[in-house]
Amino acid sequence: MKRILYTAAAMALVAGTAHAQDYTMGISNTVQGNGWREEMICAMKAQAADSGMVESLNIAHRNTDAAGQLEDLRNLIEAGVDAIVLNPASPDALNSAIEEAAERDIVVVAVDQGVGAEAAYVVSNNQEEYGYIGAKWLFEELGGSGDVVYMRGAAGAAADDDRNAGFQRALEEHPDINVVHEVFTGWQQDQGKQQILDFISTGIPFDGVWTSGIDNVIVDAFLESGTPLVPIVGADNAGFVQQLATVDGLVGAAVTNPGSIGGAGVAVALDILEGNPPEDRIVLVQPEIWANNTEEGMANIEAAQNPNLDPEWPVSVTIPGFTTYTMEEIIACNGPGES
Amino acid sequence: MIRVLRNQAWVLGLVGLLFALALVTKAIQPTYSASGFESLARAALPFAFATAGMAVAILVGGIDLSVASMMAVASVTAAVLMEGAGVGTSIGVVFLVLGIGLAMGAINGALIVVTKVPDIVVTLAMLYVWEGVALLILNAPGGQVAPWLQQLIRGSVLPWVPNALILAVVGVAIVWVPIRRSKLGLAIYAVGSDPLAAYRSGVNIAGTRIAAYAICGLFSAMGGLTLAMSTGIGEPIPGPYLLAAVAAAVLGGVVLGGGIGGLVGPLLAVLILRLVRQDLTLASVDPNVTTIVEGTIMVGVVMLGGILALRSRRS
Repeated sequence: MKRILYTAAAMALVAGTAHAQDYTMGISNTVQGNGWREEMICAMKAQAADSGMVESLNIAHRNTDAAGQLEDLRNLIEAGVDAIVLNPASPDALNSAIEEAAERDIVVVAVDQGVGAEAAYVVSNNQEEYGYIGAKWLFEELGGSGDVVYMRGAAGAAADDDRNAGFQRALEEHPDINVVHEVFTGWQQDQGKQQILDFISTGIPFDGVWTSGIDNVIVDAFLESGTPLVPIVGADNAGFVQQLATVDGLVGAAVTNPGSIGGAGVAVALDILEGNPPEDRIVLVQPEIWANNTEEGMANIEAAQNPNLDPEWPVSVTIPGFTTYTMEEIIACNGPGES
Repeated sequence: MIRVLRNQAWVLGLVGLLFALALVTKAIQPTYSASGFESLARAALPFAFATAGMAVAILVGGIDLSVASMMAVASVTAAVLMEGAGVGTSIGVVFLVLGIGLAMGAINGALIVVTKVPDIVVTLAMLYVWEGVALLILNAPGGQVAPWLQQLIRGSVLPWVPNALILAVVGVAIVWVPIRRSKLGLAIYAVGSDPLAAYRSGVNIAGTRIAAYAICGLFSAMGGLTLAMSTGIGEPIPGPYLLAAVAAAVLGGVVLGGGIGGLVGPLLAVLILRLVRQDLTLASVDPNVTTIVEGTIMVGVVMLGGILALRSRRS
């Protein structure tokens, strides 16, 4: 009898470890062909492969609306995945599918932006802090008074709302700062460039520009139109970081917003599958600010230069404490079983 | 008679294709069950109405490129007006939105008839107009759809008969069957086949075209409503429904140029196209390849439809 029990226990152990090696994971993303999102997908693949615990990734990655993401999520549920990591198109519209996944014991982790459904964990860059520290740096750079152009992201996106909350908080702390122009770039490079060129041509004076990550084209617009440079806040996209290091007379700051948050989401999903959920439902990764007029910031900017990196990718390709893959692995962008 | 037979042959072919795809699905995913079909039906719902609307516009000899934008107007109007409203109010809102859909479609039709500018140009312009209207109503995703409406499309009355499928079939039939059997239905086919012959037979061409576009607007409003019902909110930016609707209508046997086809084929075609997407996800096909496959199917189908239209014109 004892022997049978031991054997059973041993078999259970073997089965347990065997199971840990062959999770299937679903990925859902609704923006295709955007550098930040492509880095996110590659980080997800690299982390899944590096963990050694994921047998296959099922990636639903296309340009669609929230209804299309609902369709993708339900198809992933039907495919019988163990966990789904998604970048939500909307904070509210996906709750029904997320609850359906939870009913089937599928772990759901939203990355980059939050979702309302309590069943999902959220691993996100702290977007409010992102908005705040960039705006605070800009307002202090202007000596606490002046006119700024405020170039937001996409209307209605959760990340844009949160960044706006941070921006407004910084604005309240600096009452002599005046927003002379507020636009939504839709996080589109061409649109943002046209908007700043249009505004420059109105001749209304301004002292600084805050951008929600559509940054290198703004610097280009100043250079191409011969407009004197003003302080510019952007994200840690490779192109902008390079401009911070090389463009004469440009004073600016990059606020980190790693697309590798996707890799962190995969890591958290695996932790939950292994029975170690994070303490809080919402895990926030704090941004850093790299200003090119401070020694520390410039050191970060210099260190981040990497000619192998796609210019539209954010330069912070790993998130210490979460991701375990190497720079080479994320650039190779191979998921489990690919080479 | 031959024409009728050919249409039925097309529909029967689609049924066969759907069953073949179902077998493929079962092969890819042996555990595929009624819940998989239920999600398929829910995903197909907005596409079904968009396609029905597009099919009617094509039948009368035109095309409506503003279908997705009209859906957006309907979805944001419903979500904004229903926020915090009771059951009674939300029923009223449903009828109001359907009325707005009819009006939008009638405006499209009237502009085409009055200006004599080609349908494709007018509705392309209206695509932007209705998109702007949707953004004016709601500049970012928001609002809330009445919970009972969201519940309506969930679940199944019988296994393999999802509520969403019933709503699609009943919704299209309630509008289309009476029209198809009336003088107006005959007139739509007559104008689509040969406007001159229809005119000489005493058909009111202008009125028929305006009516057909109004029906298209009504179906678009139904599509927008179901879109909002599935997400629970209104989204002002039009989704990927325009090209999908054209592809499904043509795959469904509606001939570009007008006069030939029905609405049964297009509805089957919607299910087929959604099932292709589901199979590609279940089979875990590389996402970039998935887009190529979907795009190739759509282009192939539209091209095939175009060739068939040319041939039927020659013969």
